[in-house]
Amino acid sequence: MYKYSDTDKKIIASRVKQFENQVNRRLEGKLTEEEFKPLRLMNGLYLQLHAYMLRIAIPYGELSSKQLRKIAFIADKYDRGYGHFTTRQNIQFNWPKLLDIPEILRELSLVEMHAIQTSGNCIRNISSDHLAGLTLNEIEDPRPWCEIIRKWSTFHPEFSFLPRKFKIAVIGCTEDRAAMLVHDIGLRIIKRNNQVGFEVFVGGGQGRTPIIGKKIKDFLPKKDILNYLEAILTTYNQEGRRDNIYKARIKILVKELGIEKFRSLVEENFSKLSNKELVIDDKSIEEIFGFFRLPPLKSNTNKIPFKNNQEYQNWIKQNVIPHKIQGYSIVQISLKAPKKPPGDATSNQMMALAEISEKFSFSEIRVTHEQNLVLPHVSNKELFNLWNQLKIENLATPNLGLITDTICCPGMDYCALATARSIPISQKISRHFNNYLKQKEIGDLKIKISGCINACGHHHVGNIGILGLDRKGQEFYQITLGGSAKEDAAIGEIVGPSFSENSLIDAIEKILNTYKKHKRNKSEDFLTVFRRIGIKEFKKDLYDNFTKKA
Amino acid sequence: MIILQKKHEHKNHYKKIKEQDFLKKNIRNGSILSISQWRETKHIVQEQNINVAVEFSSNACSLSDKDEISKAAMVQINFETFKDGRPFTFAKMLRKKHNFKGELRAVGHILPDQFVFLIRCGFDSVEIKDEDKDVWLELLEIDEGLYYQP
Amino acid sequence: MVKKLQGETFLLSANELVSGKVVFFTPKGWSSSSSEAIKIKVGEIGRYEEISIKEEKKCIIISPKFVELDDDGNIKTLRDKIRTSGITIKI
Repeated sequence: MYKYSDTDKKIIASRVKQFENQVNRRLEGKLTEEEFKPLRLMNGLYLQLHAYMLRIAIPYGELSSKQLRKIAFIADKYDRGYGHFTTRQNIQFNWPKLLDIPEILRELSLVEMHAIQTSGNCIRNISSDHLAGLTLNEIEDPRPWCEIIRKWSTFHPEFSFLPRKFKIAVIGCTEDRAAMLVHDIGLRIIKRNNQVGFEVFVGGGQGRTPIIGKKIKDFLPKKDILNYLEAILTTYNQEGRRDNIYKARIKILVKELGIEKFRSLVEENFSKLSNKELVIDDKSIEEIFGFFRLPPLKSNTNKIPFKNNQEYQNWIKQNVIPHKIQGYSIVQISLKAPKKPPGDATSNQMMALAEISEKFSFSEIRVTHEQNLVLPHVSNKELFNLWNQLKIENLATPNLGLITDTICCPGMDYCALATARSIPISQKISRHFNNYLKQKEIGDLKIKISGCINACGHHHVGNIGILGLDRKGQEFYQITLGGSAKEDAAIGEIVGPSFSENSLIDAIEKILNTYKKHKRNKSEDFLTVFRRIGIKEFKKDLYDNFTKKA
Repeated sequence: MIILQKKHEHKNHYKKIKEQDFLKKNIRNGSILSISQWRETKHIVQEQNINVAVEFSSNACSLSDKDEISKAAMVQINFETFKDGRPFTFAKMLRKKHNFKGELRAVGHILPDQFVFLIRCGFDSVEIKDEDKDVWLELLEIDEGLYYQP
Repeated sequence: MVKKLQGETFLLSANELVSGKVVFFTPKGWSSSSSEAIKIKVGEIGRYEEISIKEEKKCIIISPKFVELDDDGNIKTLRDKIRTSGITIKI
């Protein structure tokens, strides 16, 4: 894992001091709320429906047991004993007091964590593949590149007051597990003529104008990455719209200019403004890579223990995947237990998991954009022991990738922007489809739920997307079909008029029936069928003879 | 108001010419011109070797090579709001693309929390209220030297 | 703040600056209890808006808003209900 340099330590410490200064000026009235807001946002502090909300960065999704313990401690001491893992590898606390924030930031700095640039119109926390460094088909580990970009983007003097927020994701293989194509900039490490470099995508995003990122560069040599990012950001900072908040993201600029024109502006800035000091030399790359070596795993022939226990076997089948080192497994921990808000973990669970990770996974934990956790390096022979311990903590739900493994935003239960609740919808789905065999029969299916058009719950890229709306004071839910956040990224299509909360499950059942009807064989998944037959069939089955409650 | 050039305090020696008083003969050392006024008069300014400033609003930061901005003594950028980040890129352009070597000053709605960012993008000075000086200096000290960008 | 208001009767609400918690304007000042809040008629909105601006300037509250009541004097919208009574889910 990455370890802070002296500069990192000083930067974080000085930021704590600076934020304390800002809070004091705010309380004394020397900063207006209008002035304070962008400053607090750049430190991850929002004002939500009931209270402030603090978003803490988990850069590229990597946590140590020590860090997780600290988060649990903060949850208990300064919040209400739980936290919420988000779709961009952050964790949120829902109830902190403004006065406590400097102290919370100080506590975090002790374990090399912070809340810098987790919100605001700046370059956000860099996100990545939660399986980085663990799979065989990876071209190169993306985490060192995330770290290089993190350093460059932290307190960037030129890009801290952008037209709008800016999100970057980096992946290291063809499979996209980081929703890279719906980021402002998506980077995929590729190999061409035996050279490793980046394929660069720009202008992806969700929100009210969902767009899949466009390719701006086929191949960018590694050493040029920071200069190229700088050229994109320079172009955006100068040309991006500031007259209308809904048109301020880079995706709108790229759309309005067209990718060709945008590319030519970027290339001009790249050729004219590139800074030699931003060219990364091999030695510094190697140095950063040194932080991300695998722990001492010894390849072996240990098999996954078989037990005459259906629950355990289901969990193995659903949540456990092979590690690139033989004899080890990657264990995915679902934060979608029945009745629990998706992505939430209690301080007790965090404490237990910290200890479990020390025992079974070299003190490492990963956070996924699908709001789950990962124990990256577990010896096969320990899997049954591990399962038993996870089960005690309600962390062994075998539903990874299945219909109850929903992505879900906090919705109107917490969020000041939401137009409807989303967590209760997820809970309904989880209750209705609780049975493992029933879920397994449906197969791989991503349901993603947002409580408003801002799409924090990624509904546009759900195989089934659910968007909560307010219709004359009533909560209604619009369904989209066919979205994907993977390498075959697609924006879902609206199936038709929206549904009331009470008719929603029925609608999902109908959609699944259409799928089942057209499924050619057992392994043909929902998205494949949707792409083959199109939305028409679903529409017909859903709305014909349907007593519309809408 | 005072001018803070990093840690040093100065008096302001520049002054705007009112639109109705704008006559070529009124331009003198320390005049602040708009970009259109500069375009109209830059040859006279150069002939007479006068030090003038050119002012831009944060929402209209643009230049062409023909503007010969490197021949102005000062460029002043008036932030309509501190949230408008365009001047940070504009400062880089002035220094790198337009070869401007004179004083670059930020005025208008700016926050002490932006001091280090301004300096690192190429600004030399800021115009602030006398009573705010301490907090500007304090934040400069907290942040100075702590960053990764070249 | 008043632009979009509909209805006849309102409560003045806000978040407390230091803690962020939801508060209501009562005869005794700000309180977490909505039942003690002053019921404000449409015609009085202007006066209470002035109060809220002053209270904001004094750094006591942020994000002031008028909470609409229905004909029975109950909080009307779901958002305001959640805001007043808390989240609708079990943790």
